[in-house]
Amino acid sequence: MDPQFEKHLLATRRHLLGGMAGGIGGIALSELLGGNRRASADPMAAKEPAFPARAKRMIVIHLTGSPPHLDLYDHKPELVKRSGEDCPAEAIAGKKFAFTSGTPKLLGTPRSWVRCGESGMELSDAIPNLHRVADKLCLVKSMFTDQFNHAPAELMVYTGSPRAGRPSLGSWATYGLGSENANLPGFVVLISSGVQPNGGTSSFGSGFLPSVYQGVQCRSKGDPVLYVSDPPGMDRTLRRKSLDALRDLNELQAKEFGNPETLTRIAQYELAYRMQDSVPEVMDISREPQRVLEAYGAKPGQSSLANNCLLARRLVEQGVRFVHLFDWGWDFHGTSPSEDIRDGLTQKGATFDKPAAALIEDLEQRGLLDDTLILCTGEFGRTPFREGRTASSSVLGRDHYPDCYSVWMAGGGVKGGLSYGQSDELGFKAASDQVHIHDLQATILHLLGFDHTKLTYRFQGRDFRLTDVHGHVMKALIS
Amino acid sequence: MITSRKELFFSLCLMTGCVCVFVMARQVVAENAPALRATPSFTRDINGILSNRCVRCHGPDAAARRGQGGGDDGLRLDTFAGATADSSGTAAIVPGQPTQSEIIARITSNDPELMMPPPDAGERLSAQQIDLLTRWITAGAQYEPHWSHVPPVRFAVPPVKATAWPKNDIDRFVLARLEAEGLSPQPEADRSALARRLALDLTGLPMSPEEVDAFADDPSPNAIDDCVDRLLSHNGYGEHQARQWLDLARYADSAGYADDPPRTIWGWRDWVVRAFDDNMPFDEFTIRQIAGDLLPSATLDDRVATGFHRNTLTNSEGGTIDEEFRSVAIVDRVNTTMSTWMGTTMACCQCHDHKYDPLSQREYFGIYAILNNTADSDKKSEEPVVRIPWEPIDARRAAIQNELADIEARIPPAPKGGVEPPEFQPVRAMIATLQKKLAENVPATVPVLEELSGDKRRLTKLQHRGNWQDLGPEIAAGVPSAFGSPTLTDGVGLDRMAFAKWLVDSRNPLTARVIVNRIWERLFGIGLVSTSEEFGTQGDPPSHPELLDWLACELVDTQWNIKAIQRLIVTSAAYRQTSKASAALVARDPENRLIACGPRVRLSAEVIRDQALAAAGLLSTKKGGPSVNPPQPNVGLKAAFGGGIDWQTSQGEDRYRRALYTTWRRSNPYPSMATFDAPSREVCTVRRPRSNTPLQALVTLNDPVYIEAAQAIARRMVKEGGSTTAKRATRGFRLVLARQPHPHEVERLVRLHEETRNALNDKPHDAMKLATDPLGPLPTDFKIDAADLAAWTVVANVILNLDETFMCP
Repeated sequence: MDPQFEKHLLATRRHLLGGMAGGIGGIALSELLGGNRRASADPMAAKEPAFPARAKRMIVIHLTGSPPHLDLYDHKPELVKRSGEDCPAEAIAGKKFAFTSGTPKLLGTPRSWVRCGESGMELSDAIPNLHRVADKLCLVKSMFTDQFNHAPAELMVYTGSPRAGRPSLGSWATYGLGSENANLPGFVVLISSGVQPNGGTSSFGSGFLPSVYQGVQCRSKGDPVLYVSDPPGMDRTLRRKSLDALRDLNELQAKEFGNPETLTRIAQYELAYRMQDSVPEVMDISREPQRVLEAYGAKPGQSSLANNCLLARRLVEQGVRFVHLFDWGWDFHGTSPSEDIRDGLTQKGATFDKPAAALIEDLEQRGLLDDTLILCTGEFGRTPFREGRTASSSVLGRDHYPDCYSVWMAGGGVKGGLSYGQSDELGFKAASDQVHIHDLQATILHLLGFDHTKLTYRFQGRDFRLTDVHGHVMKALIS
Repeated sequence: MITSRKELFFSLCLMTGCVCVFVMARQVVAENAPALRATPSFTRDINGILSNRCVRCHGPDAAARRGQGGGDDGLRLDTFAGATADSSGTAAIVPGQPTQSEIIARITSNDPELMMPPPDAGERLSAQQIDLLTRWITAGAQYEPHWSHVPPVRFAVPPVKATAWPKNDIDRFVLARLEAEGLSPQPEADRSALARRLALDLTGLPMSPEEVDAFADDPSPNAIDDCVDRLLSHNGYGEHQARQWLDLARYADSAGYADDPPRTIWGWRDWVVRAFDDNMPFDEFTIRQIAGDLLPSATLDDRVATGFHRNTLTNSEGGTIDEEFRSVAIVDRVNTTMSTWMGTTMACCQCHDHKYDPLSQREYFGIYAILNNTADSDKKSEEPVVRIPWEPIDARRAAIQNELADIEARIPPAPKGGVEPPEFQPVRAMIATLQKKLAENVPATVPVLEELSGDKRRLTKLQHRGNWQDLGPEIAAGVPSAFGSPTLTDGVGLDRMAFAKWLVDSRNPLTARVIVNRIWERLFGIGLVSTSEEFGTQGDPPSHPELLDWLACELVDTQWNIKAIQRLIVTSAAYRQTSKASAALVARDPENRLIACGPRVRLSAEVIRDQALAAAGLLSTKKGGPSVNPPQPNVGLKAAFGGGIDWQTSQGEDRYRRALYTTWRRSNPYPSMATFDAPSREVCTVRRPRSNTPLQALVTLNDPVYIEAAQAIARRMVKEGGSTTAKRATRGFRLVLARQPHPHEVERLVRLHEETRNALNDKPHDAMKLATDPLGPLPTDFKIDAADLAAWTVVANVILNLDETFMCP
C-alpha cells in the first residue's frame, strides 16, 4: 500500500467530513451518490489523465490460448511453398518449445487470403467478417514477447511481468482514470467458453494496487456480479426497508464515533443497492433490438463471446472504463479436430469475427469508436512449423511461439487500415519495426493519456509501473 | 558522527509530528544563530533532501552513479567520505565551508550545464532547502546512519505530568508525547467495548454476552489482566495470530502458476497455530522455520517448520524449465525473509544496487547463496516432503493394511512366471482392490527444506539484471554489511542456521523493531512505523521512536516472548482508551498517530466471517487438518489446464470451520474473502489494505453464508432473547456487538421487525424461504411462524452489516 495514496484518501475523506458539518448523511450522501462521479473519498472517482487522451475507455478481446496468427493475419507465401520441409536449423537453434523437440516440419497455411478494404490489408478466410472493417484495424505483424507458456505470457501481456502479483492493465487504467459511472464497476471482466484465464484472477488482478481496482467478473448466467441478488424471499421493497434501518443506525454510529470511514460505508451501501439494479439491467442483452443481437450473433441467456462483445459495448456506453473479455479455445496445437487450423479454425473463427466486427461497427455508429480503444490479442503467436506431438496425425496444429506474432487494435487514436511491421519470409522473426509487448503497453497507456514511465505505484520500496523498466511508445501506430 | 543517541532520537521525535509546532530544545544550538535557527539535523532536515533529490544519481548504486565519469569514480552524496572526497582540487562538500562546497554552487547555479538537480530532473531546490544545506555544511556536515540501521537501545522512560493515567511504561511514552502536543488521552472504553476489542484482537472471535457481562461485573482490580490472560490461553488464540503469519509466508493450498494444482502443506499451517498457542519464543520460531532441519537431532516438528519457505510457487506447466522457476523461488525466499523479519525491501537489489539504502546486488546474492542449497527444485512432486501423522487417514490405512495382511496370509505367493490355479484369482483381485484403496489414501505430507551436500551443492553466481541465464561472478554466502555480521560456528560457515540466528541476534538492528511494530500495528491499526513493510530510508520514520525501541528491547529481554509484549500493550491505558474521537481530534490527527484515542480498525476478512458464524452459534471449534471448502457460488468456470477448480462443498461441521481453514487456491481465491482484501498469497504480504467498497456490502448482505448466519442468529434471538421484541432485538445486537444497545437502536430494530413481518404476512412462501434457506426447516424446539422468524432474519442481516460490526471497537 502506498502511504502517500492512503494519506490522500484520508485527506479527501477529511475534506468531505469538514464540508458537511451541518448534517451527517443528507448533504454528503447526495454528493457521494450523484449520478456522475465527482472528486470525493471514492478512489474510483473519474480523474483527468496526465495529458489529453485519445482513448477514454478500452475493450480488450483476449483469445485465450493464442490464435494461429499465420492462418489469420500474417500471410507467408514462402512458408506455403516450403511446407513439409525440415525447419531450417538456424531458425530453431537454441530455442525451447512447449511441445516440440528435434527438427519439426514447416507448415504453410492452408487458408486462402483476401486483400481487404481501401488499405488492401491481407486477411485470411477464417475471419471473413473482419474483412468488412479492415480499414478500421491497426494490425501489428511484428509483435514479440519473452514467454512461451500460457500463464506467464498472459501475465506478461496484462501485468508487464511473467509472474503473478503485479497490477493488470485494467487496474492501472482505473487507478489512473477512475470510472465515469458510480453505479457500475469501473473495470469489468467477462469470460466466455467456460474456462478462466491462464493467469487465473491475476490476469485481471490489482496486484499491490488497492483492491478496488481489481477487475470485477460479471456473468451472463446466474448472478451477473457475485451476490448481487437479494436472498431468496427478499424483494426490493424489503431490501430498501432494511437498508433504511441500516443507514439510520450507521448515522447514529457516525455521530457517536466521528469516524469518516462510517460515512464512506453508508455511501457504499447505497451504491451497492443501486448496483443491484444497474448491473442486472446493463447485463440484460434481451433489451437490445433483434437486429443488434443478430449483428453480433448474440443470444440472450447464453455464455458466448458474441454476448460478451455486445455486453462490452453496453458497458462502455454506460461509462465503464475498462472491459476485459477472455475467450477460451484458441490453443491450436492440433490435439483434436477443433484445434485444426482448417475446419477447426473456421468454426472457432466464426464465433469471433462476427461479434468483433459488429462491435467495431456498433461503436462507430454510436460515435464511440473514436475514443474507445479495442485490443485483440493472444498471449503469443504460434509456430511456423507443426507441433511435435501431433506432427504425424491428420490434424494440423502449431506450437506456442513468442518471437513473432500479430495483434490488432481499433478505434481510440490508432491508425485504421495500417499493417505495421513485417515478419521474415518464413515467419520466425519480426523482421522490421519490431514491437515488444512492453512497447504495446507503453502505446496503450499513451493513448489513455499517460506517460508509461510516470504512471507508477510505490510498493516494497520501488516505484512499479506496467512497463517495468522498458517500453517505447510506437508513434507510427497513432493516428 | 552523532553526538549522542539521545540527540538522534530526539530529532527523530521532532521530525515525525506533522500537525504540530515544535519547540526546539536541542542542546546543540549554533552560536549567534537567530532563534529557531538551530543547526540542521542530518536525519531530520538533510537526509530527505539528499535522498529524494540527489542520491538516485549520487548514491549506493554504482551503475546509476553520475559525475566524474560515473560508476565507481562517480560522486556519492550518501556518505561523508564520498561527499567530501577530493575531485580535481574541489569537493562536493567541504565541511564548514559552504562557499567552497561544489554542491552549493551547483544547487544555486542557473547554468543549465552546471545546475543540480539537472534541468530535466524536476523542480529546483527551494530556498529553504538550500538554506538548510548551507547551514548544515557550515556546522560541519555531520552524517548520521539511518535510524533503523543502528541497534535499538532502551531509553529512560520519560516523565509525565498526569501521573495517575499510565498503567505501564508504554503509557509514559505515549502520554509524554501527548502532553508535549497539548493533548490529553481519552477515558477508558467501557467494559463491553473493551471485551469486544480484546476478544477480537487476541482471538478473532466475539465473546458471548454472558462472558461480557461477567467481565463487566468483575469488581476485581485485576479484572482486565485476568481477562487478557484468559484470552491469551483461549483455544482460538493461535488460529487468529497465525493468520498474519500465513500472509507473510504466502501460505496457500495450491502450487501457483497456470495449473495451480492442489498442494498439501496444511501440516505446516498447523505447526504455526501450535507455535502461537504454545507461545514459542520468536527466536526459536524463526530458527525452526529457516533452518529447523539443521538443528542437532531435528525432530519431525522441526522439519515441518521449514515448510515456511516451501510455500513458494512451483511451475509444472509443459515445457517450463525447472531451474528457471527454482531460481524464481529462491529470489522469492530472499525477498520474503528480508520483508518478514527485517522490514527491508530488497527486491530491487535482484537487478541492481539499492538506490537509497546501503544494500548491493552482490549482498542480495550473498543471501541467495545461503538459501540456494536446498534439495527442492521446482518438481511437481514437491519433493522433498516429510510424512506427518494424521489420524483419519492413518487409521484408514492401518485398517486396509491389516486386511491385506490377512488375505495375503491365506494364499501362497504368486508363482514367478508360472500359471496360478484359477481358484486364487478372486483373492488376487481383492488384493489388487485393497492395494488401490491404500494408494488412494495418501498419507499426509509437508514439503520441507533439506540441505544438499557434497557435489550436489550449487554454486551461486550473480545474475545480471536478475536474469538467471546471464551469470556474473561467483558469490559467497553473506549478509548485508549494514546490518552487522553473523556469528559463525567453527568449521560450518555461513549456512542457513547461522543466517537464522543472525536474523534474531540481539545485535540485529531491525528484527525486534519490525516484530513489535507489527504487533502494535495489528492492535492499533497502524504501526509506530506506518510503513511496516519498509524500515529503510524510503519508509516513514516512527511516530514514537523511543517507544518503538523500548518495546524492541523488551521483546529481546523477555526472550522474544510474544504474549508478554501483547499483554503489555493491551493492558496499557493507551490501548484501553475509548475510540470515540472529537471532530477536532480527527481533523488534527486523522490516522491517530499520536494515540490520543483508542483504536478503531476494520476487521480482517477472516474475522468478519468468523464473527458472524460465532454469533450464529454455527462456528466449529475443530482445529487443524486439511483445508475445507465452505459454500461458494458455482462460477461455472474451469481452470486453464489445471483440470477442475470444482469446489466440492464440505459437509457437516467442515462447512463452518474458521476462515483460516478455507482452501486457499491462489488462482481462484475464495470470493468473499478476496472482496475483503485477503491477498492471493502469491507473494509475501506484509500489510493488507482495508478497502471499503460496494462489493463488500453485497457479500455481507447477500452471500448465503451470511444469510445462513443471520437465520441462525434470528433463532437465537427468539429462543434466548425472551418474550418481547425489544429483548429479542437486544439479544441479537449483543450476540454480535457485545454492548447493550441504546434505546433508540432497539427501537429502530423493532420497527424494522414490525415492518418486515407486516410485509411478509401475506407472503408465506417468501417468508419461509427467508427464514430457512439455506439453514434448514423451521425449528422444532420452539414455536414460531415463518414471517416472524423471517423478520428476525432481516434484523440479524442488518446487525451483521452495521458499520460497528466491521470495526474493532
